Amino acid sequence: MSFFDHNFREIFGAQLVSILGGLIAGTILAIYTDKILLIPGMFILLPGFLEMRGSISGTLSSRLSSGLFLGIIKKNRMHGRIIRANILSSFFLALVVSLSLGILAFLFSYFLLGQANFKIILIPVLAGVLANGVEIPLTLFFTFYFFRHGHDPNNIMGPFVTSTGDITSILALLLAVWLI
Amino acid sequence: MKLIYHKIHHHHLSHIRKHLRRSQKLPKKERHSLLHKIHQQHRLSHRTLLYVHEYGAHSNAFKTIIKESLKVLLLASLISSLGGIALEEIKSVFIVIVPLVILLPLLNDMLGDYGTIISSRISVMLHEGKLKRGIFQNKELGQLFVQIISIALFMAALSSVLAFGMSIFSHYPPQANIFLKIISLTMIDVVLIVALTFLVSLLLGIYLYKKGEDPNNFLIPITTAVADFGNMILLFFLVRVFFG
Repeated sequence: MSFFDHNFREIFGAQLVSILGGLIAGTILAIYTDKILLIPGMFILLPGFLEMRGSISGTLSSRLSSGLFLGIIKKNRMHGRIIRANILSSFFLALVVSLSLGILAFLFSYFLLGQANFKIILIPVLAGVLANGVEIPLTLFFTFYFFRHGHDPNNIMGPFVTSTGDITSILALLLAVWLI
Repeated sequence: MKLIYHKIHHHHLSHIRKHLRRSQKLPKKERHSLLHKIHQQHRLSHRTLLYVHEYGAHSNAFKTIIKESLKVLLLASLISSLGGIALEEIKSVFIVIVPLVILLPLLNDMLGDYGTIISSRISVMLHEGKLKRGIFQNKELGQLFVQIISIALFMAALSSVLAFGMSIFSHYPPQANIFLKIISLTMIDVVLIVALTFLVSLLLGIYLYKKGEDPNNFLIPITTAVADFGNMILLFFLVRVFFG
């Protein structure tokens, strides 16, 4: 049993990719700290918001990969009943979870910090729509793309989704704060 | 010959369809055993049967996805956000340390990824019966722990260097003592959270497996949420210790 076996190399490679996305997202966050992090309740919202996007796109990719491998989803047809249901349910989940996170952040900042900031409910909803509007089609496209090119999307899409998801989420939050 | 083959094939498929339709009306526990029987009788993989059963022509795929994902997603997001309350308390100190702000999404990602890897690998070991003889005798488990901890330590150091480098571009003072504090804080945080994730995955995985549940369905959302929550709480204490 070698220490530097294929598992070690795969985890190491995936982590390097993941770090890159996180670093870009973190730098955007640091540049716009005054616009994002200074909003009361944002630290309560941010971890859940970042977690949600990975969970939704990650499971979407995983379900699509299973369908592709089993031949239930055809690799040349990026539409159909199962794909439609997957896209719609992912959007619906993103909306419900974003709204719940907003309400939670509002309640905590109201009861614990004594600050009633209604914007904290609207920001994640709008940011959730914006981020998933980019992330879900991107996940769909690249899952099919990697599969068509002979790769296992299960091995690639995890770090891909977390890296791109972090960047889109932070940018969407910034845009939502600017719009609201 | 072709006609006979088609007749047999059609007969075979109608049997599977009949079984799958019957299984949709059954409670979850009984459904698992029926799917296992179809798997043995018709030589179809568990994965295929489950996928056809959940998302096949007679199912409502939208409803299935919402029903199975919503609760876990809400719970995972809630746990992650609870950790954020601790950071909200030290916000004024935290946002001044630019490398830490850069590291926040990075640590969140990295620890979540380790949670996913540890959970899925432990689930596979449980399914393969590799943990039956005791966890301390299992070399594969020990190797997984050492590999993950080594990668985590290296990545924590690399992330700290990169985050510190990036922060200098935003006019953050390049002080050696701050750098040492950042790198120590990140490494302590990562090692402790990876160890916690490993322990939770192992104990919960064994418990769920003994209960007859598939650890795959529960371990990943729970361990990633525990890692997020633990990370926020630990960051709260470490920031207070190093920068308070």
